[in-house]
Amino acid sequence: MQPSSKVHLYDFEVASNDAVGEKVYRLVMRSPELASELRPGQFMNVAVPGDASHIVRLPFSFASTDPEAGTVELIYAVVGEGTRRLSEMPAGSTSTVVGPCGNGWDVKPGGRALAVAGGVGAPPVIAAARALAEAGREVDVVLGAQTKSRLWGEDDARALGAGEVVVTTDDGSYGMRGFTTQAMEALLARHEYDLVVTCGPAVMMAGVARLAEGAGVACQASLERMMTCGFGACSTCNVAMRAGGYKSCCMDGPVFDASEVAW
Amino acid sequence: MVSDVSMAVDLGGIKMKNPINTASGTFGNGWQFEGFYDVGQLGAITTKGCAAEPWDGNPAPRMCELPSGIMNSVGLQNPGVREFVRSYGDYLQGLEERGCRVICQVAGHSIEEYVRALELFEELAPFASGFEINISCPNVSRGGAAMGATPEAAAEVMAAVRPRTKRPIVVKMAPHDVAEIARALEAEGADALSLINTIPGMAIDVRTRRSKLSRPTAGVSGPAIHAIAVRMVWEAHKAVSIPLCGIGGVTSGEDAAEFILAGATAVSVGTQNLVDPTAAPRILGELTDWAASQGVSDINELIGAFEC
Repeated sequence: MQPSSKVHLYDFEVASNDAVGEKVYRLVMRSPELASELRPGQFMNVAVPGDASHIVRLPFSFASTDPEAGTVELIYAVVGEGTRRLSEMPAGSTSTVVGPCGNGWDVKPGGRALAVAGGVGAPPVIAAARALAEAGREVDVVLGAQTKSRLWGEDDARALGAGEVVVTTDDGSYGMRGFTTQAMEALLARHEYDLVVTCGPAVMMAGVARLAEGAGVACQASLERMMTCGFGACSTCNVAMRAGGYKSCCMDGPVFDASEVAW
Repeated sequence: MVSDVSMAVDLGGIKMKNPINTASGTFGNGWQFEGFYDVGQLGAITTKGCAAEPWDGNPAPRMCELPSGIMNSVGLQNPGVREFVRSYGDYLQGLEERGCRVICQVAGHSIEEYVRALELFEELAPFASGFEINISCPNVSRGGAAMGATPEAAAEVMAAVRPRTKRPIVVKMAPHDVAEIARALEAEGADALSLINTIPGMAIDVRTRRSKLSRPTAGVSGPAIHAIAVRMVWEAHKAVSIPLCGIGGVTSGEDAAEFILAGATAVSVGTQNLVDPTAAPRILGELTDWAASQGVSDINELIGAFEC
């Protein structure tokens, strides 16, 4: 079979771009073809204008799409120069986006599922939880943040019909004080799951993967890497595998079977 | 765009319908770009470096951003020639049939490995119009840039690979001592030279005192190195008579035109492919427009036409 690529370059227009928390923003982009092609867990590589010396695109997962309106919802944190410039893109401004990139979550029907998100890992996890709920599963959601002002996703988790929604903050400013893995352990003791989906800091995902493996539950993790192209041309976003060697985050992932990753 | 300028060039026996090539490692193996445009319109593509046996490449992280560029430490991750041909051979054969020349890059840790990889390509890749011997990768511990570090070492590799194929051999050169090394390669029968490979650099995370990448040094590419690359192409052009492929920070037809004027017959688009995936055909259009604006009927009239 001949290899083929379904990744395209699209224009987008910013429909809205507002702060929804401390350094957390919600950007709605209008890009009808991309909106109809993206599947939960896939990502896009966005050119952020305003500084010609900054040549690399920024990869983002998304929280939701609205194919009818032709829009894609991004939730992102301002962590550096690129995301700062993105946060300053006003409604009506335009740029380009490469996508849809990578493979999404496997959201086939099944038993009860647990979605565990840390920080800005929440958008793709909410997208996964929504798709799992639509596939007829019971879904519980754990959302972790450093502090209440950095938390995003609780309303979305409740709106998608999640069974239990547990919020943790590192500083105890909201919800349970502690880490998502502690909340996950409590849920694993109370419910029978057959799937865990997770996205967040690598150290958190490694803990989630360990707990899932210990409980004999399949776990899908969405990984983040420094990334250049997003469509398999440069080999810079490698992920080390337990069995040895590497896979490509943008082509084989970003969602991996957590048991195959060398955490 | 309509133009009467003939854009066909001959890169040491590789007959390209136009001068635009792609730099190895920045273009996958071509098919990744078919979702963006018809790759068949390019003059050539150069595939990702491939060795006789698979290489894992370097640990993550392999890339960091720099002002007007990036630094990478991929380390020539490749599946080995057999798997390369099995996975991409049909596509690359089709690309040749669409008029885009396929140049397969050959990697090795030693002279024996270059020879073995080239022998396998020679046997398994009849679709290739030519081969690029990479003696300048800065990201591998053995071989790589060491194989092209001196005129003597480069000549030794060239002498060993030359008898293994009748197809054109291009040699990918490191960014130093280009005049001397180019002369040595020409003397051993290289058909063309491509330059420059990435420039070794360092980026240190001062908080952790560690490299920002998985190795202490890595290769700098992108617009930041363009002027250096143009100068080196000019030096090589003055030193040898075999054709050159200019590589380094090409983002526009103007950048490509600088290489042509400095003496390059072909020009590879590299890092820009990764951040602007439709760059190569745009640059081809801009280069064609520039050639027309210079009042020539054939782009070859502009090769080395730099006036000083």
